[in-house]
Order: sequence, then structure tokens, then C-alpha cells
Amino acid sequence: MSRVLEDLLVLDLTTEFWSGLASAMLGDFGARVIRVESLAAGEGGDANRDGQHPPTDWNYLADLAQRNKRGLAVDLGEEAGREILRALAARADVFLTDLPAARLAELGCDYSALSAARPDLVYARGSGFGPRGPDRDLPALDELAAARTGMMPILPQPGQPPVYTGSGQMYTTVMLALGILIALHHRADTGEGQEVDASLFAGNMYGASLDLQAYLAMGGERFLQPESRLDKGNPMSGTVYPSRDGRWVTLTMPDTDRWWPSFAEVVGLDVADPRFDDHEKRCGEHRLEMMRVLEAAFRKHPGAHWRQRFDEKQLSADVIEAYSYPAGDEQAHRNRYLVDLEHPSLGPLKSLGFPIHMSDGTARLDRLAPCRGQHSAEILQELLEYPDEKIFELEAEGVIA
Amino acid sequence: MAKALKGVRVIDLTVWFQGPVCSQHLADFGAEVIKVERPVHGDQGRGVRSIKALPVGDWNQYFLVINRNKKSMALDLKRQEGRDILYRLVEKSDVFLSNLAMENLAAWDLGYEKLSEINPRLVYATNTGYGHRGAVSKPSFDMTVQALTGLMARLGEPGEPPIYLGMGSGDAHGGLMSALGIMLALHQRRRTGRGQYVDASLYGAQLFLGAPTLQAFLATGDERYSEQQARTAAPNPLWNRYRARDQWLFLCLENDDARFATLCESLDRSDLAGDPHFASAEKRRKNGPELVAALDAILAGRDAAEWMQRWRPLGIAASPIQNLEDVAEDPQAWENEYFVKTHCDEVNREVSVRGLPITLGKTPGSVETLGPELGQDTELILADTLGYSWDEIGELKSKGAIP
Repeated sequence: MSRVLEDLLVLDLTTEFWSGLASAMLGDFGARVIRVESLAAGEGGDANRDGQHPPTDWNYLADLAQRNKRGLAVDLGEEAGREILRALAARADVFLTDLPAARLAELGCDYSALSAARPDLVYARGSGFGPRGPDRDLPALDELAAARTGMMPILPQPGQPPVYTGSGQMYTTVMLALGILIALHHRADTGEGQEVDASLFAGNMYGASLDLQAYLAMGGERFLQPESRLDKGNPMSGTVYPSRDGRWVTLTMPDTDRWWPSFAEVVGLDVADPRFDDHEKRCGEHRLEMMRVLEAAFRKHPGAHWRQRFDEKQLSADVIEAYSYPAGDEQAHRNRYLVDLEHPSLGPLKSLGFPIHMSDGTARLDRLAPCRGQHSAEILQELLEYPDEKIFELEAEGVIA
Repeated sequence: MAKALKGVRVIDLTVWFQGPVCSQHLADFGAEVIKVERPVHGDQGRGVRSIKALPVGDWNQYFLVINRNKKSMALDLKRQEGRDILYRLVEKSDVFLSNLAMENLAAWDLGYEKLSEINPRLVYATNTGYGHRGAVSKPSFDMTVQALTGLMARLGEPGEPPIYLGMGSGDAHGGLMSALGIMLALHQRRRTGRGQYVDASLYGAQLFLGAPTLQAFLATGDERYSEQQARTAAPNPLWNRYRARDQWLFLCLENDDARFATLCESLDRSDLAGDPHFASAEKRRKNGPELVAALDAILAGRDAAEWMQRWRPLGIAASPIQNLEDVAEDPQAWENEYFVKTHCDEVNREVSVRGLPITLGKTPGSVETLGPELGQDTELILADTLGYSWDEIGELKSKGAIP
């Protein structure tokens, strides 16, 4: 069976999890991805700079972000190394990087240089803050982008410190892959390559789409302060309540009239209760009272009870789970969102799998992250037709590893 | 300017947010997106004004922005005549996208088998709630699905309620995944000549929103990745949130001696760098809460802008933690067209909208029009695209297939 992207060669010069994962997603669908790791000192990112990921754990993240790639290690501090990089770029359909613009210029790998040799190249860059503007050269750190986006102060309860989710970068990952595919579509139509940029700032902003857009349309102080969970606009939507065993229940039933009869029954309220018998009362004059009533009602039973009752009545409500839930969830495995794999050195492991299902072009795991330079010789032979002697020489000189 | 997806026709049978925002990406880059809606009320997103969970301004920013650059066709798919129109549209389209319940699509005979038989080149895309396989069938709104992924439970200070990432945050990711799936299928179609079935679910996409911590949890089982962590217990105290006198800051500094010394100097507290409790990376980690407390006290002494002014020339990575008002005025967002201005017919003035998060050098996206009026393009599409005569269109109206 043909693979979706089997006709593509992708050269990946990235150092970060979120950007590396973009080309792994292309590799999942059959693109031939070459991960270039620099041997030059100080290049290659520090996976544990925030202290959250001790080196042992980092391997698992690399096995996700660098899967389905072959690895080439080359000294970009040496002109001979940079030459190899440029020669490979001239063979590639897609070049993906997250390096600073100034560094790319030093390497002779900015868009103008690479597109001169290969005019139909799709040149994608994951940046911190976009290709234009006064802050275009700020470091590409998700934390900085999240801080700029405006959501951190309003995510928690009033009085609590701002919250960093770490999810903003994941939008950027998919935006990079999507931008590449859109540019490839244009290339197939016209033969024209181009630059693609997806920034962490754009990704974080896009994840906050509806809140940002609501603010743009309305403005006002209410969007700038966190809301108390017991002072939401709709007691039946966007809210959380604790159950008896401390597990939290969450409700999303914005059009309350539709859900009210079965919801009232589940929480033990009288459908005809004159305080709550229409949407205007529930979301208007008796809103706070209804929240207090629900707060007390949900405390009467444990989370498992509520899940069962919600399920029976097909309510849009559920119990808030921790990561152990998807880890053991058959639904997540059946759809291959999570996969079990046999790791050569670590044994059986669970990993994130494939978020997109395609009937004719199934994603699959062909290989885990390459060791540094694992395929250097093979790549130079295959793509640049270097003879063995030249490869030995480059190895001996430390240009490749 | 040239559009990358010119010539791609998309039938967009979607409601609310995930489906519409998926086709919005395609429309931004020039695809002809035809939103097919029920004749009465249309997409539920048109009716959010009455629903108190979603604040709406004097124009319906929720619906109009995610449905920008699209056409609207009103069809009664409960009638055979309405479905026959859709089948004719399928013959002439590249993509069919829906986030309706699979049971609805089956009941209206709009399943993959049927539509791909009409047009084998069709890319048939769905946005299910929990995946196209498996037994789970329950309502799938953004927050209730996010609840299952584990994303919410790990956020916030210990003991505080779980935290939702923001309105439509999971749908937004699902929409991107779906657009990527469609583009992948269009790519493969050039070689194979065949369309295929593509699904991107809300659950699958949201699991990937947690990738940086979920992947580590899956491999290690370490609860540190799945439970709430106190700010004061940050494993690298130099990579943390701090409150300046007027505003919170995010400081992002690797935990090494040279950087710590630079930081202490910038705080006029070189003595801190010499404090034996903080004399090495390991000690700063081990005595983290103490160091966080010290930094809290120091940083509270000046405004965020003052600290930023000192740090910028030293290359200390940090940012004030902005609010929505700040970002709405952030020149970086405007210069990159992450926000743009466009005309809104509903209020007959220029409004500010979410712009173009993906920047393409030669074929950039654009916002040409905001969301369409319900059914505004029905007759034109019937006549021009599908070749119905005006008599036939009159007959379809009398039968109630179109309004």
C-alpha cells in the first residue's frame, strides 16, 4: 500500500520537542525525514532547562518527537559540515527548522540561500513570535509565548498564581505540519516553493481563539479577571463541582432548556422547581442560588455514581480524570491515540500514537528516535552519493559522527 | 494574490466550533468552502446569543469569525430532494467534512460508502467525539472531553479546582488535526487518484495537547506529571512565575551558576549568588522553596517593566504575563496578522478578528468576508455550480428542499 507522503524528503534541523514533533507527524505518514543534529558545542537545546524532565524521562519525549526519522550528526561549526547540510537541503522537498534567524544566516541556511539552490523548496520555520515585528528574534520558548497570550492570569481561581499549561506549543506543532502541506499543495499546482512560519505565539493565541475573539468583540474588565467557579454565567455549563470522594464533576449544557428535565432528575431536583424552571431563571436571577444547590447535590455521591448517571441519561457531563485514565482507556488504544510498543532497551512501554486516522494511508511507527548519528553514513551514501573513503575521512575529521 | 488552495471545493456540513474551524483554515487559504446548513436556524453557532455560556457582542463574533470566507447553502437533508442536491454537489467537490453524529449521517444516507461511490476522488472527513472505532457514544463537548484526557486535573495549585484550558481549546486543536488530515489525503490523491476516509476526533486531538507531560507519564507512571504542582516547588526555581510589584512575570533561566550570578547581579543581590544554600544547581534545586521565597520578596520590589529593562540587555529570557487587554494591543500580534481588521455587515463597521496563525510567504491566507448569512448562496450554487435550471430551482423550493 502506498504511504501518504512517501514521495517527500524532509530535512529536519530542529532542537525542540514541539518543532521536532511536526516532522515526526509527517514521518508517521511515510515521509522520509532526516533529523540533523549538530555536533557544535552549545547547539541542540537543553531538554531539562525547566527542571521538569530529568534526562531519563527526556528519552521518552524524544522517542515521540523524533520517531520515524533517520539521524545524521554533523558539526555545523565547520564549513565542511555546513556544506553537507546545504547539499542535503538541495535534495529535500521540505526544510524544517526552529533555529534563530541569525544562526540560519550564519549556516547559509536562510531561505534566500536555500531557495536559490532549490526554488521549489518548502522552507518551514517554527519561531517564537512570527517572521515580522519588533520581537521576531525573541527566543522560541513556549513559556514566553504563553505569557504574552493573555490567558495565564484568568485560567485559575481568583487570587491564585497565573497558570502555564504547556499546551500552546502543541497547536504550533500541528500548524507547522499543516502549513507545510498547504505549501506543498501549492507547489504541486504551480511548481513554486515558499516560506512557512508558525510561531509559538500564534499557536498559543490560536488555542485561546474564542476567549481572545470575545475580548476583541466586547472588551471589558470581566475578561481580565479570573472567574470564581461559583460565579459562572451558566450553572450548567463550563462549571466544575466536587463530588463526595473529591473527584470533580464538569458540565457543558449551554442550552439548558434542552437538558433540564433529565438533568434535574439526575441531581435530585424537582423539574418544576419554580426557582429553576426556565433558562432565564437558571442563568439569571437564580443563577448563584442554583450553583449553591448543585454544589450541595454533587457532594452527596462519589464520582463513579455521577458518571454512571450522566451516561444513562446521555448528559453532556463527566468526571474529571488524571492521566491514568487515558493510559488505561480502551477507547484511546482502539483508535491508536495511544499505542503499546516494545522498546529495545526499556521493554514494553505506552506512548502517544496517532491523532489522525486515514483509511488508505495509515500512520505507523516504523522506528523510534535515532541515536545520534545513527544513519550518518547511510544518508550521505544514499542522498549525496559520497564514496566510502570520503565518509571515513569526514568521520576521522570529526565533521560527522 | 495567489491562493494555495484555489480550486479545492469543500462541502462543510459542520456545526459549533471544531468542524467549522477546520474548514476555516482551508477557506483562509483559498478553498471554496460551501457551508451546508438546515434551512431553519442553520448552524447552532448562529444561535449562541441566547446561550449564557458564551458571551457575544453586538455582532456574533463566535459564529462569524470561524465561518469567514465561506459560502452558505441551506438544504433540508431530511428530504430526499435535499439529499439529491447534496449528492450532485458531492460529484463536483473534493472534500466532504462533517462533525455531525455518525448516526445522523447514516440516517440521511450520507455515509462514506455512499458518497465515495458517487465520487471516488472525494476526501471524506469526520470529527468524531471519541474516535471512529470503539463503543463510546456520548455527547462530546470540548470541556467534557478535556476532562477525560487528564489535562485539566494537573493544572493549578494543589487542592485548587482543575483548570480548563479555555473556551473551545480542544476543538481548536481538533480542527487543526482535521485540516491536516484533509491535506494529507489530498496529497495522496494526486498519486492514487482516490479519496479516502479521514477522522480526527476531539479526544485524540486533546490527548496530543498534553503531549509534553502525558508522554512522560505514560512511560514512567510518575504522578509528578499528572498531579497539580505548587509554584513554590518548581524544580528549577529560575524557570518560574514571579509577581513583580505590579504584574506577574515568567522568568525562564537555565539553572547554571553563571546565569544565576547574572540574575543576582541584575537584582542588586550579588550576595545571593554567594549564599551556600544556592551555590550550585543541585542546591538551588534542593532548596528550591527557599529560593522561590527569596526571589518572590526581591521581585515584588519593582515593577515588571523595570525588571524587563534590566534583563533584556543581559539576555535573560523573561516576559511580563499579559492579560487579554495587553495582547489585544500587542504590536507583535498585529504585525504578524495574528489579528486583522475586517468589515462586519452585521454592525456595518470595521471589527478586529483573529487573523492568520500560519504565515505563508507567497500565498498568504486572508480574511475576505466574515461568516455568511444563512443560505445566502443557495440559488447561485444550484444554478452556476450544479447546473439546475431556474424552473427546477422553483420546484425544489416548492418541495421544501431549499427555503
